[in-house]
Amino acid sequence: MEALRTDSKQEIHPMENLLRMDRMPHIWCPTCGIGIAVTAFTAALEKAKIDPNTVSIVSGIGCTGRVAGYVKLDSFHTTHGRPIAFATGIKVASPKTKVVVFSGDGDLIAIGGNHFIHAARRNIDMLVVCVNNFIYAMTGGQVAPTTPLAAYATTSPYGCVEPPFNIPYLADSSGAVYVARWTTLHVRRLTNSLTEALQKKGFAVVEAISPCGMYYSRINRLGDGLDMMRFYHDNVEIRHGEDTKNLDIGFQTKIICGKFVDRERPSYMERYNQWLSDVKTAGRRSGGQRGSRK
Amino acid sequence: MNSIISALNKGIEAAGVDRKRISITSDIPFEPEAVRSLGVDYFQTPRGRAIAFGTGLKLGNPSLKVIPVVGDLMTLGGNHFVHGGRRNMELLVICVNNFVYKKIAGIPAPSTQATFSPYSTFEEPFNFPHLGNSCGAVYTARWTALHTKELAASVSEALHKRGLSMIEVLAPGPNYYRRIDVVESELLQFYFENSVVKNNEDPRNAAITGDDKIIVGKFTDKERPTFIDSYNVQHTKILGDKFTPHGPASEKQKVSGGKNG
Amino acid sequence: MKANPKDVLTGIYYIDGDVASGYGALAAGCKFVAGYPITPSTEAFEAVCRRGPQVGAVFIQMEDELGSISAIVGAAWSGVKTMTITSGPGYSLMQECIGFGAMLETPFVLLNIQRGGPSTGVPTKTGQADIMQSRWGSHGDYELIALAPDSPQEMFDYTIKAFNLAEKYRCPVMIMSDECVGHMTEKVVIPEADGIEVEPRRLYTGPAEDYLPFKPEPDLVPKMAKAGDGLRLYITGLVHDERGYPVEDSAYKSKYVRRLVDKIRLNRNNIIELREEGTDDADVIVVSYGISSRVAVKGVEIAREKGIKVGTLRLVTVWPFPDDRMSELAKKARAFVVPEINYGQVVYDVARCAHGDANVVLVPHGGAGVHNPNDIADAIEMAVREEKKIEGLVEFKTRLQKSVFEGGFKLKE
Repeated sequence: MEALRTDSKQEIHPMENLLRMDRMPHIWCPTCGIGIAVTAFTAALEKAKIDPNTVSIVSGIGCTGRVAGYVKLDSFHTTHGRPIAFATGIKVASPKTKVVVFSGDGDLIAIGGNHFIHAARRNIDMLVVCVNNFIYAMTGGQVAPTTPLAAYATTSPYGCVEPPFNIPYLADSSGAVYVARWTTLHVRRLTNSLTEALQKKGFAVVEAISPCGMYYSRINRLGDGLDMMRFYHDNVEIRHGEDTKNLDIGFQTKIICGKFVDRERPSYMERYNQWLSDVKTAGRRSGGQRGSRK
Repeated sequence: MNSIISALNKGIEAAGVDRKRISITSDIPFEPEAVRSLGVDYFQTPRGRAIAFGTGLKLGNPSLKVIPVVGDLMTLGGNHFVHGGRRNMELLVICVNNFVYKKIAGIPAPSTQATFSPYSTFEEPFNFPHLGNSCGAVYTARWTALHTKELAASVSEALHKRGLSMIEVLAPGPNYYRRIDVVESELLQFYFENSVVKNNEDPRNAAITGDDKIIVGKFTDKERPTFIDSYNVQHTKILGDKFTPHGPASEKQKVSGGKNG
Repeated sequence: MKANPKDVLTGIYYIDGDVASGYGALAAGCKFVAGYPITPSTEAFEAVCRRGPQVGAVFIQMEDELGSISAIVGAAWSGVKTMTITSGPGYSLMQECIGFGAMLETPFVLLNIQRGGPSTGVPTKTGQADIMQSRWGSHGDYELIALAPDSPQEMFDYTIKAFNLAEKYRCPVMIMSDECVGHMTEKVVIPEADGIEVEPRRLYTGPAEDYLPFKPEPDLVPKMAKAGDGLRLYITGLVHDERGYPVEDSAYKSKYVRRLVDKIRLNRNNIIELREEGTDDADVIVVSYGISSRVAVKGVEIAREKGIKVGTLRLVTVWPFPDDRMSELAKKARAFVVPEINYGQVVYDVARCAHGDANVVLVPHGGAGVHNPNDIADAIEMAVREEKKIEGLVEFKTRLQKSVFEGGFKLKE
């Protein structure tokens, strides 16, 4: 690998300035879609013309949790489920930083579900990229809150009994300002979505459905990653602006992709600053009175 | 809180459920007298864990009716709530919302001295019925402490729902109360003047914004297989005779006819 | 009471420790397992998921470890035996409800397959650094029981024992295994059901109006009840009286918490299980638990070849700690050597019990692997050469602080 990379200039990865090439090869399995999502993200970062020095990327635990470690930005690999909380800290303490949370479905929606809905409610200015591969892949294929009903996983050996989350609906109902879903087959659309979301002010969620050739498709006998890509090709329907409640994903059913939500809401920092100036005016007006009440 | 307990009492009475079978799990401390008056089993859990605790209680003994009374506005327990909704665990979640309202009695928010709540003055509150609905709750409603009759009716209705039901109750919290200088009657007056009943409204539109009136009513009432249903159906399908369906006999019969998904 | 034949998968198997523990739980009559995947404990949860539905045990994969442990405490109060399975960071998340469970005197079993820490650490490699956390992890005073099996067979046997202890003393019981034992594949013999003794729940059977959920029996353990029996339970994590009602009285608090602590401390002779070999006339005693005790066997062998009288003491129950026996041995032996995969945890309790009568040598290990038996043998040799009594604890082969060696032992480089 080393020789290949240093021999000629043509072999350089086009995103080398944004990737930690010294950490390659990465840990992801062949036909995994996470790498595609990372490439889409780095391309979006360039397209959005954001200074990489101002971007912090935060990941949690899991396969997608390793993303931060391969991207040459300020990278944080945090504990399981806490990347959004961690990123909230960065954003609120240093509002100039562009914060990106790049993690998986299990990390963000299962154990981190509470941080997810609360950050969306607060409308903290960050981009959340949720790579959804329908399973806990790092620990060996356990059922996730996104695993479709009746799909197999090692902790649902007789088929999953819990209906999965519809991530766009959850994000929408808790207050996200930008919600989109793509598969890793839609590289350009995903890149465009990420570019838009990066420029959006507020809590933006982009769900990237990604094949897991090692666990999800193997346990469920769906072929390898390439077969999953073919499946996406044949079964994805693009419906921009679709009502998010219609976006459920069943086992090997049609997947609706597109941009669903794009709205404006005051972000946390805006509200905070507003509140602060209100307090100051109110304090000046009735300061003495408040003091005397105590 | 007292109005909630009395509404619970009336609701349980109206539902005709055996009080022996009802367990309340709550992160709000109930007075022993209140529990005695309700005649149910009561568990006070650590903050935010009432729904998760109730999940265990329900799965351990499916014949129980579990009512998690969640205070604290789901700061700690929000995750258990959304996942409970997704699984459709058979719980009746009473979400006591004692938020310090932005424009209560004309006093601007910053002077209400709210300290530690997701509704603390500058953050936008959750629209709980919408959140509940979006993660799959089969029954969502919102009432204020004033609507005791409607609240009791909702409780009795929801006790018969199979799946996660959620009733948000806007009520003044007594502890908070001492901190903000508003008298209880004033707040109840406020509820009276500022709420409007709109049953079957899309919960999406039921956000508490501060500019409009608070929309109360029953928003969702639908049917979905519960966790135990899906569990039984799926395992019976794959394991056949090796699997004994979980739950009391009456539920088993329902399950055999039920469809998954 | 004997185990239910339906729950027991009688036979001879070649399985790993995690799976053996899962089978053990079902054999003990566990009917509810809540878990969350975390390496290296997932296999145990997977085993329950595969076999559980066939023996009437319900499983649920909760949204996180906070949910898992809350759910099993809840399920325990609905009258079934419960277990949760975790490791590393998950164990830290569970601490809140471990204290809650201890306060409510809830019987449940927690299987912790320890991994390298802190934080995410080394998920796939071993460690023994949670052992003090199992003792002091949750806030406040409480006592619980922790077991440390060292083979897949013991994972099966001691999972059953953990359930029995939990039921008997109405307290959380931790199985503090580690990645090596969890992922070790060995022969496991699962006996017939009538060869397995299981402790039934100590349920209250008297009239409902006389029931006091926290009124202790002579062995300080109250009888338990379950939700839905019309007993009108009032159960709270606040300090409570015998009825379960909250009290804030300081005198009462000290009385109640005293009992929580004493029900384990005073019953400790019935709880503690030790494996001793050659300790009566030993110069040096190797104190170990879990996987370290298996590595220590080789170290002891090497030392014995050199003519040193070495005894071994294995802590099968790490908590409660065998204070009495340890103090007794300290009077006879010259030194204790404590190999553990951390930078010193149980060794402090050994030193406490030695009362300065014997020297205490720690053989630390940073984790993500096990000791080299030669290190243990060298530490034994070093300990036996040291005649005089030494103040404090000595660490074997600590490289960062040279000064540690200067007062006591000289290291042979």
